[in-house]
Amino acid sequence: MKIVVIGGSGLIGSKVVAKLSQAGHEVISASPATGINTITGEGLDEALANTDVVVDLANSPSFEDKAVMEFFQTAGRNLLAAEIRAGVKHHLALSIVGVDLMQESGYMRAKKVQEDLIKQSGVPHTIMRSTQFFEFIGGIANQATEGNIVHISDLQFQPIAAEDVATFVTEAALSAPVNGIQEIAGPGRFTMPELITRYLEAATDPRKVEANQNLQYYGAKISYAALVPAGQAKLGAINFDNWLSSQLAKA
Amino acid sequence: MKRDKSQEPQLPVLSQAVLEQERKMLLDLGNDITRVRDKNDLLVLFSKRLKRYFYFTHTIVTLIDEKSGTYTPFLLDNESSPIRKHPMYPELIQAHFRLNEPFIQTVLQADGPISFLLEDIMEQPESPVFLKVNYEKGVREILMTKIMMEDKPMGFIHMYTDKPGSFTNEFRSVINGIIPQLSGAVSNIIKNEEIHKTEREKSFLLDFSNEIAQVRSKTDLQAAIFKVLDKTMGTKLAMIRLLDDDEVHLSMFMCDPTLFGGTKATFEKMSGTRITVEEPYTSKVLASREGLVFNVAEEIRSGNDYAKLWATTGLKNMYSFPLRVGNRNIGTIWLLANKLSKLLLKGICAQISIAIANIQANEKLLAYKKQLEDENDYLKEQIRTIYNFSEIVGNGAAMQEVYRLISLVATSGTTVLVLGETGTGKELIARAIHNASPRKDKLMVKVNCAALPANLIESELFGHERGAFTGATDRHIGKFELANQSTLFLDEIGELPLEAQAKLLRVIQERELERVGGKQTIKVDVRLITATNRQLEEAVRKGQFREDLYYRLNVFPITLPPLRDRPEDIAPLANFFVKKYARNAGRKINQIAPKAMLQLRSYSWPGNVRELEHLIERSVLLSPDGVLKDVYLSSKNVSEQQSPAHLANRSLEEVERSYIIEVLKRCSGKISGIGGAAEILQVPGNTLHSKMKKLGITKADYFTQG
Repeated sequence: MKIVVIGGSGLIGSKVVAKLSQAGHEVISASPATGINTITGEGLDEALANTDVVVDLANSPSFEDKAVMEFFQTAGRNLLAAEIRAGVKHHLALSIVGVDLMQESGYMRAKKVQEDLIKQSGVPHTIMRSTQFFEFIGGIANQATEGNIVHISDLQFQPIAAEDVATFVTEAALSAPVNGIQEIAGPGRFTMPELITRYLEAATDPRKVEANQNLQYYGAKISYAALVPAGQAKLGAINFDNWLSSQLAKA
Repeated sequence: MKRDKSQEPQLPVLSQAVLEQERKMLLDLGNDITRVRDKNDLLVLFSKRLKRYFYFTHTIVTLIDEKSGTYTPFLLDNESSPIRKHPMYPELIQAHFRLNEPFIQTVLQADGPISFLLEDIMEQPESPVFLKVNYEKGVREILMTKIMMEDKPMGFIHMYTDKPGSFTNEFRSVINGIIPQLSGAVSNIIKNEEIHKTEREKSFLLDFSNEIAQVRSKTDLQAAIFKVLDKTMGTKLAMIRLLDDDEVHLSMFMCDPTLFGGTKATFEKMSGTRITVEEPYTSKVLASREGLVFNVAEEIRSGNDYAKLWATTGLKNMYSFPLRVGNRNIGTIWLLANKLSKLLLKGICAQISIAIANIQANEKLLAYKKQLEDENDYLKEQIRTIYNFSEIVGNGAAMQEVYRLISLVATSGTTVLVLGETGTGKELIARAIHNASPRKDKLMVKVNCAALPANLIESELFGHERGAFTGATDRHIGKFELANQSTLFLDEIGELPLEAQAKLLRVIQERELERVGGKQTIKVDVRLITATNRQLEEAVRKGQFREDLYYRLNVFPITLPPLRDRPEDIAPLANFFVKKYARNAGRKINQIAPKAMLQLRSYSWPGNVRELEHLIERSVLLSPDGVLKDVYLSSKNVSEQQSPAHLANRSLEEVERSYIIEVLKRCSGKISGIGGAAEILQVPGNTLHSKMKKLGITKADYFTQG
């Protein structure tokens, strides 16, 4: 099969490209760097010619509300239009668990628009909603740090390893489109302060976590369980401890 | 196809902190929901709190009704229900679903929460319709959990989701954990609602009772009833019928004429007819202990004409209740409503019964009071007049005839017509007849028909109901009613307007009357005495007096002679009055000087006895003690007054001649000097002599009797 991975150079993208190639598929890693630009449309038609599956893992270069919205709208439209022209049989996109429950956030609104564009396009599709990656934990801690204190709301939290995400994306890319949403998450459920404390301790970070009941996540107010899947979800194989030790080993 | 994938769902491992958080949440939720007293708050709280941790679309609580073998929605999570816009929603939240079907039986037999994919169960023939309705709005799975009270299922909590697999084991265990508290909360709410309901009904009855206790009139009662029934209970008063005094008929007492809009005429016809206790519906209601309920639709089918009217209100049931005070039926009340609480209905009807009894008692009391006041006023008035005419004086032949007639007619109940010029003592005669009759123990009632404006005479005679005409602010008892079992004396009957004559005729013929503006017929037993100074036959001829009435009144006429025709009575009368007024004025006058008596005898007395009385009164006041020497006959009166006997067409000469003869007669033939005819005629004695000669008046003319 010919598979085009948009954003193929990113955290998940690079892993997916590797896994698909390993499985013997013709994989094109598309990114502005490889001359394929979903914002300008440049190189899209050529890349999509005779393509069976498109995996969209691209992320906005800016996280400012307006810019994010513009990015996902423009990229989504250009990409889906090109797919229709090329007769692509499966469009797979990565989204976020609870995206519809966190519409206070500009980023989540943009991701929801992306999902809706896909659903309305008529292209056979799979929307894979994932929880946060273990790899984000450091970033979550940083954005909530004031001085030596990390202010974290006691939200439920079920992060997944990027490796598992790549595996699920790869599997889905090679399966029939579900024409709906597939949720994936990590194998364990935690509270966010609990997990961040453990992370900081493991990294011998001197910062202290202070839990609160403000229900804040990146400045947006969400519900306790917004970040964890409801209903059926596929759970990753790598648990937090395993992931942590592999990270420490790498470091 | 989807179901293949939904084998055992993968479940995450929960960390200590997550478990701790959920435990705490459960505890908090448990604490909070046991404090909830308002039914609407409970499920909203439950749903909102639970949604922080778990995903589901909405939830409802249904309660089992064991009597009917059904369950029905009790608590609704309206905010999030996706089926709220479904056309069947309003019907569903009122519906009763059967317990006797496989779906709910499976739930009842399950140990804990049990979930179903709607697809699997909704098409089964006996499954409740809400499953399908939810499916149509995107719901895919349902989690049913029994709510237990004292080891018995009392209802269910239904939870719905559009994401199959939402009801994880963790979710179920949380639900299982919260069920005891939820059951407690629901039963608290049920008990609370029952208490509130009885409290509301009681306080409502209290308010109603307070309001009704102040009611003194029908209008007040009507206002109170309408206010209470309509505004607070969604109930319409159709009608209150009360038993009449005869205990057989029922008359309409109160109704809401606005109730039957378009069919007003029919309603008026039906309500206007007096019915008896034998009327099938009424007899059933009166015989029932706690009233009856008629289903409007069923009654229409069974051909009840009233029910068609009832149906126009759109209300489903007609509640009828016997109104009782103690064990005595006083009437029936008819109320239209969809549903009424028995306790409330009974309470209200008891209050209304008492209020009506009070009003009836009050009305009777007022009527008695009014009657007493009327009689009192009347008595006071009569005391004044009776004192003036306590005796009839005079023994002349003309009066003897009158006495004879009075004694003949007095003891019978015959109608008497007293005729005579003004001042001849017609009222005195009427009173004498009354006093000699078996009715003498009751007061004779007198009406002067000339003393009242035509528009008031009817109400004066026959009475009126409140509101019969402008200004009729109170019910008025007529003189006819006042004179029941007594005598009614109608003075100046000739002045009675024609309209009133017709009514009077009816009363005489039928011996019953209706008050102006009233519908009730009142039987009266009245002896009628009428009097007039007019020539009634002449009035009949001119069409001013009804002939038929004239014959009715003229059964036994008594004609009183004018005073000038019984000069022999002038002396006794004058002495009688002198005594009376001397006593009144504190004067010691006990006789009249012969000269004065001569003047009195020679006067023509156009005003008859009354004029004599007044003249004496004045003379007594103007006279010093001892002997009454001067009478103050008004000379002007003498020349201007003409007695009716001399009104025929005659020549001046004839008039002059007969007048001179008449004056001479009164002066006992004395022509000149004091008390002579010349003085009265105000001519010199010689002139009178020559006039007599010219007119050929001889002694024979004025010394003959007649």
